[in-house]
Amino acid sequence: MNNGGNLAALLPLVIFMAVMLGIGFYVRQMQARGFAKNFVQQYFIGNHDLGGFVLAMTTVATYSSVSSFVGGPGMAWQIGFGWIYMAVVQVTAIFLVLGIFGKRVALLSRKFDAVTVVDIIRERFQSDGLASLAAFIIVLFFCATMTAQFVGGAKLFAAVTGYSYEMGLLLFGLAVVVYTTVGGFRAVALTDTCCALLMMVGIVLLLYYVLSAGGGYSNLMANLHANHPEMFEPLSGGHMPVGLYLTQWILVGICTIALPQSVVRGISYKDTASLHRAMLIGTVVVGFMNIGINFTGILAHGVLTGDLASYGGVDNIIPRTIVTVMPQSLVGLAIIGPLAASISTISGLLIVASSAIIKDVYLHNQHKEGKEPGTKQLRLLSMLATAVIGVVVFVIALTPPNLIWIINMFAFGGLETAFFWMLLLGLFWRRANKLGAILSMGGGTVVYCLTQGMGVKVLGLHQITIGITASLLFFLLGTYLGKPQDERVLAEFFPTRRQ
Amino acid sequence: MTDWEKYQQIRREAAFTGLALLVLILFWCWAGFGLEGVEMEIFGLPLWAVTSSIGVWIFAIVLVKILLKFVFRDMPLNDEKEGVSHE
Repeated sequence: MNNGGNLAALLPLVIFMAVMLGIGFYVRQMQARGFAKNFVQQYFIGNHDLGGFVLAMTTVATYSSVSSFVGGPGMAWQIGFGWIYMAVVQVTAIFLVLGIFGKRVALLSRKFDAVTVVDIIRERFQSDGLASLAAFIIVLFFCATMTAQFVGGAKLFAAVTGYSYEMGLLLFGLAVVVYTTVGGFRAVALTDTCCALLMMVGIVLLLYYVLSAGGGYSNLMANLHANHPEMFEPLSGGHMPVGLYLTQWILVGICTIALPQSVVRGISYKDTASLHRAMLIGTVVVGFMNIGINFTGILAHGVLTGDLASYGGVDNIIPRTIVTVMPQSLVGLAIIGPLAASISTISGLLIVASSAIIKDVYLHNQHKEGKEPGTKQLRLLSMLATAVIGVVVFVIALTPPNLIWIINMFAFGGLETAFFWMLLLGLFWRRANKLGAILSMGGGTVVYCLTQGMGVKVLGLHQITIGITASLLFFLLGTYLGKPQDERVLAEFFPTRRQ
Repeated sequence: MTDWEKYQQIRREAAFTGLALLVLILFWCWAGFGLEGVEMEIFGLPLWAVTSSIGVWIFAIVLVKILLKFVFRDMPLNDEKEGVSHE
């Protein structure tokens, strides 16, 4: 494989990675003063300085993973328009998280000098145990998700360019770890913005070549109508059960508002006008991406006309489509889109995982002992934490053990189960208390992972329905059994009219 | 704006965002399953396939515009404690 690589495909990728690295180092230069003045604020959250456009792009790019660009449209190839109908529920993701948590988190973070979601949870429930548990869940699930993103990206690279898996991993994997480590959150936000733009370019490019390879739109449609009429039904001749629609609303729509990597973006923006702009831009962009890439997947069925088994599964559909329809010289450009989706998710998770270790665990313990680490030491440790997590994940991705796939399977729904009620009820319900939060986060996550691990289902629905219900019940149980939070704490979170 | 006024406004915005979600879910049901039986084609596609994809997308954009125009309000994020040093 190594020798048969397509050099023309490599060049655009190398340039792309060089630009990303350049942004990382440039951003670091720009922030030199901020790094010296308040390192933690600057490194982990970019010192509350994102504008609306960048906020929208970084939220979308972190949220859209490599599977939105490979596995998803591969399913669309098989299912048809029912898959877009399902995927389009994701248009809610951005305006929900920013609309519900955006301002709440922004104000609270300024009040408590918080840079992470865990900081806010700690203040609200006054529990170090809960905060540590939250930090642990974040690091564990994020590492598994990042590994999956690395693997997805590298596999795509190998399949499309003909170079080895390891080379792909080295090329884009090390780049993302380096620029995130060097530039911190601001570098993540800016590179995410480039990535989101490139994802859109990639979609348009692929769509164009699929259309021309298939002999034009009406030709492709006639072909699909004749050979796959079920692709034009919402239930796709039984391939797309109603229950799947319901659980997708919960799993990739509503509950995504609690994902810590999304909520933390509420801390990062400059002013409310930026937030409002981001809600609109984010909704436009996320809709464009989801509809665009899945529509391309459907049309690809008019080009790759064999049955699924002959391509070796849905994950191979998009790589095969790229190789089949794109001219050799443009293949490199075409995979920049999906790789951009992969690295923008990795960078977003990496900086949050690093902040969980430095801010939520290390710094908190230092403060408790009455110590204040110097800026120099903090800078070193923070960059070290980011680099170490990145490199560990990178090494795991070289030969991923089975355990990683199991954790990854739990990750998305597990994070939602852990954080959904705790954030929603914690931030908007006065009565919510520590016991409820601990039971909900611990118990809900365990129930979710157990039922998913054992394949237990209720009414044939995805286990997120069980997890989120159990998490709510635990929360209510704990809240009514336990004592309300201290009045002093509640007064900070729920201001009264007379103050 | 006092802290109390800000919190009231934020709660209002969150509640209306939730309401927008409900409206969107209803529209989504209608635009896909509701229009499935309609024998009409746009761009060679059955009507539902268009309304349930681009239709839902545009509807969501309009909803957000309405939220931003009628519900969301600008507010200062740094309160009077501004100038508190970070370190």
